[in-house]
Amino acid sequence: MADMVRVETVEQAKQNQEYVQALADLLFQLADDDFILAYRGSEWLGLAPHIEEDVAFSSMSQDMMGHAVMFYEMLEALGLGKADDIAQLREAKDFRNAILVERKNGAGDYNDNPHYDWAYAIVRSYVYGLHKQVRLEALLQSSYVPLAQVSRKMLTEHRYHLMHWQVWLNQLANSTPDARHKLEAAISLVWEDAGELSDLGPNAEQIVRYGLIAGEELLRQKWLNETKEIFKKAGLNWPGEPGAASERGRAGEHTVDLEQAVATLSEVYRIDPAASW
Amino acid sequence: MSTETRNDFFIYEVFSQKNVTASFAHQFSLLAPNKEVALTMARENFLRREPCFNLWVVKRDDIFGLTPEERPFLERLDNKSYRETKGYGDLQSRWRQHKERYEDQQKQAKSGS
Amino acid sequence: MQTQMERSDLTENEKMEAFLARIDRGEKIEADDWMPDDYRNQLIKLISMHGISEIMGALPEKEWVPKAPTLRRKLAIMAKVQDEMGHGQLLLRVAEDLMAPLGKTREDLMDDLFTGKLKFHNVFHMEAPTWADAGVIGWLVDGAAIITQTMSLDSSYAPYARALHRICAEEKFHAQHGESIVLDLAEGTEGQRQMLQESITRWWPSLLMFFGPPENGNVTSNQAANMRYKIRTQTNEELRQAFLTKYVPRIFHLGFTLPDDTIHFDEANQKWVYQQPDWEAFKQIVKGNGPRSAHRLNLRETSYEESKWVRDAIMSFGRQAG
Repeated sequence: MADMVRVETVEQAKQNQEYVQALADLLFQLADDDFILAYRGSEWLGLAPHIEEDVAFSSMSQDMMGHAVMFYEMLEALGLGKADDIAQLREAKDFRNAILVERKNGAGDYNDNPHYDWAYAIVRSYVYGLHKQVRLEALLQSSYVPLAQVSRKMLTEHRYHLMHWQVWLNQLANSTPDARHKLEAAISLVWEDAGELSDLGPNAEQIVRYGLIAGEELLRQKWLNETKEIFKKAGLNWPGEPGAASERGRAGEHTVDLEQAVATLSEVYRIDPAASW
Repeated sequence: MSTETRNDFFIYEVFSQKNVTASFAHQFSLLAPNKEVALTMARENFLRREPCFNLWVVKRDDIFGLTPEERPFLERLDNKSYRETKGYGDLQSRWRQHKERYEDQQKQAKSGS
Repeated sequence: MQTQMERSDLTENEKMEAFLARIDRGEKIEADDWMPDDYRNQLIKLISMHGISEIMGALPEKEWVPKAPTLRRKLAIMAKVQDEMGHGQLLLRVAEDLMAPLGKTREDLMDDLFTGKLKFHNVFHMEAPTWADAGVIGWLVDGAAIITQTMSLDSSYAPYARALHRICAEEKFHAQHGESIVLDLAEGTEGQRQMLQESITRWWPSLLMFFGPPENGNVTSNQAANMRYKIRTQTNEELRQAFLTKYVPRIFHLGFTLPDDTIHFDEANQKWVYQQPDWEAFKQIVKGNGPRSAHRLNLRETSYEESKWVRDAIMSFGRQAG
């Protein structure tokens, strides 16, 4: 079982380099997942199906990016560089997000002929959100106390998001045949990648051994059970075992979509990272 | 330009409570197809920075109110001081008089003994 | 909202007189109050244009949302553009309630936007090619908007005044957000300062145009009507003068220049003297022939048309659920 039961502070963590490594590996996954999906959410600004929803949707992207910032700041505290540098100066191959969150919102560019898919946005946000819920709950028991503490803070905000996605999934699933069809197509697409969400990366064994988070299988089962329940309630067919992309995001393998995203999100900062922006 | 199927959503009025002791207050209105969607959008549209403890959405059609012609009838004559503290402004000075009279009597009794 | 039947024994003329008397007494008009058609139409024109400008105004800044250079700036500009959409929502709701008796809805407003019948502010037809533009939009375009909106805070139309109170409270944050970006650039490297100078130069004519053509003593019938109804209280030129007073000194304090060698404050007349922008170009821009008009309208229209299925879907869910 866990080699260290409770690590209260950064200083305490730093006494064991192996522990720091495992903690950092996990934090990169948590931070990059939220950061990249929030980035995808920010591309939707001004383009959502209804003005009121545009406003509501943006808050969730902001909250999610706010969570990413908290994780990046924990990495900064561990001595891994400035949070802004971590977020913007790494190359795509250094990102540890799951492939699901980096996929584009649809055809086109956010500023040039976007043909974005609202059904995909809803399904991806909700499926990711359900996994995030399981992950945050597991983190409440983390051996790294500061991580357990921030997770508790995030959970409240996150439950509010789930309520939002719940309404959307349920209404699209039980409305017109066209919406139902689009929703099912989006579920299929999301399902091709979703299996990677509970992947803890190449260093999974250490992450679990140090009690940073529960094991992959536990996370996966809990998440699948919850999702199955939600789909059933919405009257949706269960799509079976989720797959994973051929690239493994948790190991730094990414699609061209992430390369483009990283280039865009760091475009200004890279002009002069030493300058004050 | 009217299209074959129009999506004229309904108007929902949004009310919110700042904290547990505050009353619900009207915020603004939004367009939504049904109450569930209206409720999920309500806070972010009108309370992005303000505290929000609880929320209601009410379909505007379900609100019954006064016509503009009837509203002026809400005005009252200013002759209801018996309902307000200002109608009882003499109480303090009367209590003070009683207290002073009592204290004077006490003083006299002491010096007289 | 439901009310009991309206009793109207008054003639149109008597209603008009009573209405103007209310305006003169400084009373506020509510959506369900009787109002002259002219007052309603002036309000619809003004508020729908204001509302749709907020929605279209989200787009130039949105270009910079994913690119904002720090985590804090990314969050702040997201919140800012979200506010713009939110302001559009408030204003469109006010306009929609005014249009309801005419049988028109938000969908009609969107159609009017796409067919070019409903115009939006000149500034949102322009290009925003650098990060400095995000700063200048927040600082100066929002600064200009604050000046015009503040004037209408006391508008005779109560729902508009209520919406503007909400909006102005948030605009203060927007101006600070813009100032913060601009000051970082102004205090920054040569490259950053150059980026900002170019942006100020680029936006200057648009900022002058923002308030509309000067009256030169000839107040249009529209403006006169708006002032009579106490919908607005100041002329285009008065607003522009207030803008120049507030911002020209600040631009100079930062060591930047304006593309106008003649601009100065005339102490004798207590007025700014400046080079007029090309008002012919202004007309073309507002008509939808600005450098980014077609692009932004296309963004708006494509996303609106392609998400029609979503609105259809949730509407149908609502009907089933009763």
